[in-house]
Amino acid sequence: MSWKPEADDLAARRAFADALGGPEAIDKHHAQGRLTVRERIAGLCDGGSFQEVGKLTGKGAYVDGKLQKVVPAPYVMGLAKIDGRPVAIGGEDFTVRGGTSWGSDRRKGGQGGFVEDLAHEYRIPLVNLIDGAGGSVASATRRGYTVFPGVHGFERSVQLMGEVPVVSAVMGTAAGGPAGRAILAHWSVMVKGTSQVFAAGPPVVERSLGQKIDKEALGGAAVAVDMAGTIDNAADDEPGAFAMIRRYLGYMPRNVWELPPVVKSDDPPDRADEGLLTIVPRERRQPYNMRKLVAMVVDRDSAFEIQPTCGRAVITSLARLDGYVVGIIANNPMVNGGAMDVKAARKQAHFIQLCDTFHIPIVFLVDVPGFMVGLAAEQAATLREGMRAVYVALQATVPMLTCVIRKCYGMAGMGTTDKNGLDFKIAWPSAEWGSLPVEGGAAAAFKREIENAPDPAARLKEIEADLRKLASPLLTAEAFAVEDVIDPRETRAVLCRFVEAMQGRLATTLGPKLRAGVPP
Amino acid sequence: MATKEVKSEITGAVWKIVKQPGDVLGEEDAIMILESMKMEIPVLAECTGRLVEIKVKENEPVAEGQVLAVVEV
Repeated sequence: MSWKPEADDLAARRAFADALGGPEAIDKHHAQGRLTVRERIAGLCDGGSFQEVGKLTGKGAYVDGKLQKVVPAPYVMGLAKIDGRPVAIGGEDFTVRGGTSWGSDRRKGGQGGFVEDLAHEYRIPLVNLIDGAGGSVASATRRGYTVFPGVHGFERSVQLMGEVPVVSAVMGTAAGGPAGRAILAHWSVMVKGTSQVFAAGPPVVERSLGQKIDKEALGGAAVAVDMAGTIDNAADDEPGAFAMIRRYLGYMPRNVWELPPVVKSDDPPDRADEGLLTIVPRERRQPYNMRKLVAMVVDRDSAFEIQPTCGRAVITSLARLDGYVVGIIANNPMVNGGAMDVKAARKQAHFIQLCDTFHIPIVFLVDVPGFMVGLAAEQAATLREGMRAVYVALQATVPMLTCVIRKCYGMAGMGTTDKNGLDFKIAWPSAEWGSLPVEGGAAAAFKREIENAPDPAARLKEIEADLRKLASPLLTAEAFAVEDVIDPRETRAVLCRFVEAMQGRLATTLGPKLRAGVPP
Repeated sequence: MATKEVKSEITGAVWKIVKQPGDVLGEEDAIMILESMKMEIPVLAECTGRLVEIKVKENEPVAEGQVLAVVEV
């Protein structure tokens, strides 16, 4: 006697799982420009690498004890590989009851569940493919009681944030729990036009506020990515999102007990780009393209920008220097003149903690005149959010390198240095620094002298000219108050040497980062 | 043809208007330059199109979010 009948039964049950919510539901899902969860996993992961877990879960329909059909559980998950490296991956199946939660003995994923346990126990990255509307009031009629919020809580999801890389991809409309789950990630992506994310969708908004708004206007990428920074990056389509996830994970270690992967770079570490000599205009009021500057310094085509469309006064990119992963934080003089506003501060703080958690050294390319000023900035709590960015920089223990391109002023400037480490600061000849810029600062500091002068405007100009003579970075270098001033073309070579040299130190300080205290 | 409003991202003053109504714009073209935070801050078209209207004058103070120009895309 063989077990062939049981093996056939298993195959039949698996076929029900593969059929998802049935052809009609799948057609409807495809018609909205969306892939099914199985197509997503296949599109993202290495071919044939998906080892599904819990494929038999669902609701079986029996006639006289004989199985007729299984409606699969609306969550598909398991172990897979991305670029040869293992990941735990899971996502809601929207074709079954809109991907809403379903009562099982053990959860598969979404909030906690097996897939998050897998990431935790094996210390491998977690990828959430989010496409669900969260809880439904209808579940109370099934249970006979209402569920306390958090019964399937976020505690594991929060724990993972200190252990392994967590990626959220919002692939459909996410509200409630799945929307919250999307935010509990180190990096998140959504798809323009076909995905939306909000705390609550249009029907709840209309009932609560009387506000009539469609889901794209409420939580499409224009709001969630560009305006709010709720989600980090936007992709043009689902395959584009998969490519970005693969790219992002390529910079990440498997977990916080390991270093990020080093790739062999064919870009010479001593490559000196002539463009660096001319990119900063001599006229100090004129901005320049910091993204181009970053591209000239890091390994060719290695920069991957996080949150490129929100908080644009600062540029945060994962990149490589001589094959080693680094986090680049570069002020953007094209936006706010590089002044740090609330969104830029929030972005910078998150990026610093991301790099610190995964032992990714930070390179600051500094051109910051300070925090954003003015009534709107004060009303938005720029000072508080800005000091939070300073706080996390001063609390971080990952090595940082500071290269001052032009302005480095005030508290925002202070937050760009490695105060807990080597505190190694290099500067370009175009660099200038201080507690505040000469303009504005002189009028306040020499108020009485200027007022009493026969020609106050002329006296102000004289004072400013005198102060500016002292502003040469070479004078600071003579006093060893900045460690070096370099030819801009040497930037890459210097940074590559120091990043290589710090690898031994990085390897001795692995593991979770405990951050005591209360950020402002 | 749809039109798109180009808004100021920052409080400041109009320093120099670079483009005129009727001009064809590339994505990275500066329509005008604002002066704010002691810097010359270009106002970029952000999409290709044709400049229909400039809503401000040189030296005029502008508020964050104020419509500066209209572009036909």
